[in-house]
Amino acid sequence: MTTQNPRTTTRLTTATMRIFDLSLGQMLWSRRSVFLAIVVAGPVLLAAGIRVVVTISGRGLPMINGSPVTGGAVFGLLVWLLYIRFIVPVLGVFYGTSLIADEVDDKTITYLFTRPISRAAVFLGKFVAYLTCTALLILPSIVLVYFIVVPLGGGSIGAGFPSLVADLGMLIVGLIAYGALFGLVGTRLRRPLVVGLIFIFGWEPGVLLFPGYLKQATIAYYLQALVPQAMPADESVVGGILQVFNEVPSVWASLATLAVLTAAALILAARAVQNREFVLDQ
Amino acid sequence: MTTAVVAAEHLSKWYGQVIGLNDITLSVPPGVTGLLGPNGAGKSTFMKLVTGQLKPSQGRIAVLGEPIWSNPSLYFRIGFCPEQDAFYDRMTGLEWVAALSGLNGITASEAEQAARRALAIVELEDVGHRKIGGYSKGMRQRVKLAQALAHDPELLILDEPLSGMDPMARRKTIRLIKEWGKSGKSVLVSSHVLHEIESMTSNILLINQGRILAEGNVHQIRDLIDEHPHSVHIRADSPRRLARELLSADDLLSLKFEDDAVVVQTARPDAFYARLTELAASDVCGAIHEVTSPDDNLQAVFEYLVKP
Repeated sequence: MTTQNPRTTTRLTTATMRIFDLSLGQMLWSRRSVFLAIVVAGPVLLAAGIRVVVTISGRGLPMINGSPVTGGAVFGLLVWLLYIRFIVPVLGVFYGTSLIADEVDDKTITYLFTRPISRAAVFLGKFVAYLTCTALLILPSIVLVYFIVVPLGGGSIGAGFPSLVADLGMLIVGLIAYGALFGLVGTRLRRPLVVGLIFIFGWEPGVLLFPGYLKQATIAYYLQALVPQAMPADESVVGGILQVFNEVPSVWASLATLAVLTAAALILAARAVQNREFVLDQ
Repeated sequence: MTTAVVAAEHLSKWYGQVIGLNDITLSVPPGVTGLLGPNGAGKSTFMKLVTGQLKPSQGRIAVLGEPIWSNPSLYFRIGFCPEQDAFYDRMTGLEWVAALSGLNGITASEAEQAARRALAIVELEDVGHRKIGGYSKGMRQRVKLAQALAHDPELLILDEPLSGMDPMARRKTIRLIKEWGKSGKSVLVSSHVLHEIESMTSNILLINQGRILAEGNVHQIRDLIDEHPHSVHIRADSPRRLARELLSADDLLSLKFEDDAVVVQTARPDAFYARLTELAASDVCGAIHEVTSPDDNLQAVFEYLVKP
């Protein structure tokens, strides 16, 4: 065997893509993905249920302030409440915190850390694999929900298509931001899953309900600025809560903030992986 | 002057309050060197320091003349076969070795070629297309070896490479390691079985309780083998037939059955292993799946060595 041994490490981008190749199949066919595929099937079943009820009852969607709720508005509500506030953070927590931890638990990290590649490439390659894997899980689900719900109340699939594209983009941005944040948590903290679950189910919903600056310390606050559909508004309690959510920054401010947060989280996480010792259980 | 392949200077490693290695200074020469010690002696800690997985708490370690921690370019020159039985089980042997070889900066087709060559060396080319999850313990050990040598490293670091192999695979692996050493490459191989290390090299590092007890050509250790019975656990298809064959010679001290295995004690491990390999090759007593040796053999030798 006469493989040449160059004296520098494999380039970061090349190594990142090689790790991505190696990791994607493992991630896609993991038990975690099977479980989360069932979770993302939930909104599809719910949308199908709404469609069946509306069709059988023959009364159409309910009225708010004398105007009928459109299928597009219901879709927007589902996107916000189910995808942005639940599924995307859950995917981010479960995958993000385990990017390196899974390899450590399986004791396969040794094979990656004893190769002529930067350890940062291991983290980044796994992050790209996470994005691809979660996008493959979530995008079919949201597209199905769109086709099931938007025609309700006479909505046009074609007319709402740009907002679907915007929704898909927003979900990807959410997956990137949550994944980077929880990737950092996973490389720095001892109980990353617990910390992540507290963040998404305790901290974010908690501070979003109150006016003030604390909500700026959440990802959901910036994501809600990217929601393309107008929230259905009325004077009920639910409507009041939704109005609180409507207090949002501009789209560009949100995108810029999320970009900075993501970049910082990725850099810090990559540095943590680079410098940390991973002691495997004997 | 010959450059040491591994040089440690006052090297210590501790995990919180637990000392893994304690003030080790040593120099590993080119060629095949065995690191011998019972479980918990510090072998794995030393191997992890040599392969840059751990950072020294104190002191220095250099591999092929360079510090290893945070120096990934050095891995072009090093191949590592870890102790743990850990894989991406859904991948085939060929896919796995090729994917890891690809991390060495070569193209996908070059990586596949390298993987095929490495699998041929460890005699797994026929099963390279099968998923690793379906491999026997011995095949898993050999595919680990293949990923370590696929990029043709100058230094091969093997942590308990013979663990769980069947007699034929053990013999082939020992031969491979010796050939590797003869070809001018270096091998650092760890084991808790004295007989295994001795069959590969006479250059031994003795480690116990985080310290190097002796290094060099340790012939005296050889004599201790006869004074301390050597236990061997053999998992086979037909333990009773195997036992009948084993009892036909006078190299056994005792024999007992355990589930699908035979556990023997011998005072002449060389003769015993040679006979076991012949039995496995002849297939007269069915397949022999796994041969392991508990570390109490070596522990007894070490207790004797450190006795005041």
